[in-house]
Amino acid sequence: MSPGTELLVFLVSVAAGALGALAGVGGGIIVVPALTILFGVDIRLAIGASIVSVIATSSGAAAAFVRDGLTDMRIGMFLQLATTAGAVIGALLAAIVAPQLLLVLLGIVLLASAGQQALRLGEELPPSVEPDALAARFRLVGSYPDARLGRDVGYAARRVPLGFGLMLVAGVVSGLLGIGSGALKVLAMDGAMRLPMKVSSATSNLMIGVTAAASAGIYLGRGDVDPTITAPVALGVLAGAVIGARLLPRLSNRHVRWVFLPVLVAIGLETLARGLGVGL
Amino acid sequence: MSAERFRTLVSTVLLAGVLLSATLLIVGLAGALAVGWDGSLTGAPPVPPSDPTDFSGVLTGLADLRPIAIAQAGLLVLVLTPVVRVAASAVAFGLERDGMYTAITLAVLAILLVSLFGIR
Repeated sequence: MSPGTELLVFLVSVAAGALGALAGVGGGIIVVPALTILFGVDIRLAIGASIVSVIATSSGAAAAFVRDGLTDMRIGMFLQLATTAGAVIGALLAAIVAPQLLLVLLGIVLLASAGQQALRLGEELPPSVEPDALAARFRLVGSYPDARLGRDVGYAARRVPLGFGLMLVAGVVSGLLGIGSGALKVLAMDGAMRLPMKVSSATSNLMIGVTAAASAGIYLGRGDVDPTITAPVALGVLAGAVIGARLLPRLSNRHVRWVFLPVLVAIGLETLARGLGVGL
Repeated sequence: MSAERFRTLVSTVLLAGVLLSATLLIVGLAGALAVGWDGSLTGAPPVPPSDPTDFSGVLTGLADLRPIAIAQAGLLVLVLTPVVRVAASAVAFGLERDGMYTAITLAVLAILLVSLFGIR
């Protein structure tokens, strides 16, 4: 790549990192098409760069989110049990399951969830803060300081088995397809477990780095990570994630929903297209 | 360990990983502009263009301060940061004397290491 191209890649990656930090996803939805369509990068190397960019978004944003108390460390670690175990299962299944079918299914699930998310666009905080039995057992309760509302907001996880199950699926999907599956993670925490949107996004941000790191070894070993492409992507995404992480506390949960919904629709459409073998 | 210190520890680990990685990536990119990806900042003799996706030469390349190896090291630090973060969380839960979450975190770390090094 020429220095001019690397600068452009850097700038696009800043946008990907900022959006990823806000929406709780890795930013691969911007990085992969930008690299392949705008810069003519091989899809294999673009996906390798995207895996690294997920980790960059995660670490760059989570450093701030954890410090600011937006990330729930217990809920994140509890659910990581499901995502990491799922990722191992997914990697083992990769030899026997056709990814095309899974991509189509995942695309449909994401687009269907978008409908549910659209209905919830006006919701600032989930209605109930009563933990269910499992949430109480595993202490999946907490509070976060809401700079926008100017007070601490308490929350408690509900429907823990559903959330844990979705995270298992998210892990399998990551292991099988090598994607961060941040959108599924946000859906599991916001949609299923009914955590506040900002907590869902910030906790997903912390988790996607671990999921992506788990499969990064495979991509590195296969020669899918080219530093001449990935270095400017990682730097840009890091810068963008830091910007996004400074922005999130000032936004309301409603704002975050308005950021997340189009990202969800875009990821759903892209996943479906990949499964059907059209476009990218 | 208070919740406050727990957060500070984990956020510091993430920040340190990010800063180290970003520094290496910036030096690697700047070095590539100056002497090329396979050149050397110490003036070591040039090597034939290497495969940038082959990370096996990262240590010898680092010794000669070759930009490609510096950038590779930056990416490796980035990939390992979440793993170190999970390990730090295990220590933090342990210091909190939270047996349940120490066990959960160690299990996550074990599965993570298996998937990083065990599956090919």
